[in-house]
Amino acid sequence: MGRLREALRGRLRSAREIYEGMYVAPYRAEIHREYLRQRDLFLLAGFSDLLGVPNPTQFYLLELYPELIESFHEWHLRMGMETAPEGGFRCC
Amino acid sequence: MLSRRLLFFGGKGGVGKTTLASATALTLADQRFRTLLVSTDPAHSTSDILRADLGPEPRHVVADCWAMELDPEREADRYIADVKGRIAESVAPRLVAEVERQIDIARASPGATEAALFERFTRVLEEEGREFDRVVFDTAPTGQTLQLLSLPEQMSAWITGLIGRRRKLTAAGRMWRNVAGAAAEEAASSDDPVLHALEERRARFLRARGVLMDAGQTAFVFVVLPERLPIWETERAVQALGKHGIPVAGILVNQVLPDDLSGDFVDRRKAREAVYLAQIQEQLGSWPLWRVPLREEDPVGTDALRKLGCSIWDAYGMLPKAPYETNGGGTESSG
Repeated sequence: MGRLREALRGRLRSAREIYEGMYVAPYRAEIHREYLRQRDLFLLAGFSDLLGVPNPTQFYLLELYPELIESFHEWHLRMGMETAPEGGFRCC
Repeated sequence: MLSRRLLFFGGKGGVGKTTLASATALTLADQRFRTLLVSTDPAHSTSDILRADLGPEPRHVVADCWAMELDPEREADRYIADVKGRIAESVAPRLVAEVERQIDIARASPGATEAALFERFTRVLEEEGREFDRVVFDTAPTGQTLQLLSLPEQMSAWITGLIGRRRKLTAAGRMWRNVAGAAAEEAASSDDPVLHALEERRARFLRARGVLMDAGQTAFVFVVLPERLPIWETERAVQALGKHGIPVAGILVNQVLPDDLSGDFVDRRKAREAVYLAQIQEQLGSWPLWRVPLREEDPVGTDALRKLGCSIWDAYGMLPKAPYETNGGGTESSG
């Protein structure tokens, strides 16, 4: 009896996961996109000088460069550039 | 006016800011206020006029007077060294060289020295200056000084925008972590060092702004000559400071021809001068105007400057009382 119940419960769980997956996956992807969008926007707003757009606070944000260089690295990989584009950080 | 802790002397180049700022600082020191004279003008002349060897740190001049001349280039180098030191531990070793290279590029950018000068300026306002009863700033000519004084307002607005962005990013990261769980490790955590650093920056700008706008501790004095161009420039500067909420205490009208002179040449000069004095009265008369008579000799050296300062402020009954004699208590020694 115990084994049957266990098996039944397992099936039910996978059914629920499939059902959730169908509904949640697009939503999940959208949330991920939104997160990446916000990440890029912050990179642009805070460190536009890397793209040649003057940034009045550049000099006050130098201490954020270590954090930034990681974001920048992640960004250029995601944008399909295997190596860092000219002009910005030469992280790879 | 002289009861404010922070006194700024400003005006067009060549009107006598350095002379009058030094004279006032020495007068305050003479009244036993521990006084620091700070020159923020990159083209320093304070050491020349005091006949003292000054540097970027306070040096003792005479009695209760100390003085220093800020050097923007040196401040920029120092700031860069400081940033490199601070981030050394938080950078992945493979990236250290690259981060340092980027910081060196920023050092060469046009805003760098200005920003570094401001950085030091806020430290004088908030920390170094606290060791003194009075800090007298001999500022650079009008344009540079307005820029320096309006920086906190502009920068805090910009950084506020960045903080908003960063908060949105943190919120989006939190949502992403909620739905993705362990897959979203890279999402910024709620304890965000970037947000923290931004907020600290902004707090610093706002504090500097608060001090500059506080009429209880700050006074701006303009120096003007009875001549056409300085009058117009001063009027614009006074209005600009008003717009930034920085309190203007009054205007020193320098090099006014003394009453007891006569002769054809002097009379003609005086007639010209009267026109400009009337113009000053009309354009700047809503602030207290203090006249400083033209002298036979240039006041150079601490003695001459101290005498000049005493005579100016005494003439208007504004000589402050010595702090440690009138207050009586505390650290006072019977002298």
